[in-house]
Amino acid sequence: MVDYAADPPVRSACCTAPIERGQTHMITQMKVRGLMFDPYNNAYIVILRDEENAEMLPIWVGKSEASAISFALENVAAPRPMTHDLMKSILDAVEAKVISVVVTDLNDNTYFAKVHLSYEDSEYSVDSRPSDAIALALRTNAPIFASENVLRKQTSEELEQWLENLKPEDFGRDET
Amino acid sequence: MDSNETSTLVPLKVHGVLPDPNTETQIVILRDERNSEILPIWVGAAEGNAIELALKGVTPPRPMTHDLIRSFTEHFNTTITRVIVTDVKNSTYYASIYLQAGELERTVDSRPSDAIALALRTSSPIFVTQDVLKRRGGGSLEAWLEKFEAKDFGKHQV
Repeated sequence: MVDYAADPPVRSACCTAPIERGQTHMITQMKVRGLMFDPYNNAYIVILRDEENAEMLPIWVGKSEASAISFALENVAAPRPMTHDLMKSILDAVEAKVISVVVTDLNDNTYFAKVHLSYEDSEYSVDSRPSDAIALALRTNAPIFASENVLRKQTSEELEQWLENLKPEDFGRDET
Repeated sequence: MDSNETSTLVPLKVHGVLPDPNTETQIVILRDERNSEILPIWVGAAEGNAIELALKGVTPPRPMTHDLIRSFTEHFNTTITRVIVTDVKNSTYYASIYLQAGELERTVDSRPSDAIALALRTSSPIFVTQDVLKRRGGGSLEAWLEKFEAKDFGKHQV
């Protein structure tokens, strides 16, 4: 088991050393299953599920991040590049490639993610909020993973129940 | 930057971000160094906040979206050399972000809000073309802004 919480702090601008190999085991590939409005917290929830629907990971995100994910999910091209489109443009311009994104940790209800990229002959791992990582992954067709410890920390039983209590009308609504 | 381009560019500073009392948008106020030119650009709330955080030098506990973009460029030793507000069509402003990665120079199309949010995070200069300044509206706007600023700067009233 890789302990992502023990990851070294984000590298500063000076350091461009490639990431260590072998950091990607004990992770489960997830798909973005949907986006819903949480009327109780006045926020949005990105629902990630694994292929077998055995694991579920809800991630609470802000309005603008939700809209960035929603545009990508629905394949809507905005008339002007949105912030994550710009992010992709910049990566494309320097020929950097997103290999994968990993939701790595959960602390005090804050999720942590890493964006894994290849640039020139090296690989890099960049600290990110999961919302940005997911919005970018959807635009670059990069796979999304969740680490086992995040899925374990997640009290899925309680969550299932909570989700069941949400009425279908709550889905996609954007008002309180 | 060739000399022809340089001669038509005006360097701008971000003067502040104002809430637009009439809509949910915000107004980024750009001014030149002599304060003789003013360029207000309407941006979305999220982009306005991204600019305001950078202006105030606030470091959020988790990287915000523009911080992540900066983080990518830092990892790749890519420099944002400048951002330029290049055009305005039907009240929509256009910007370009200039990137330098080693020998390679690239230009990326951007909304001005993202370009400014990035420029502030990377201490990159912001320019506007003389042409955009000329076409940005008239003196009535300046008068309106002066009145607006004196009264409402920093206040979130409707």
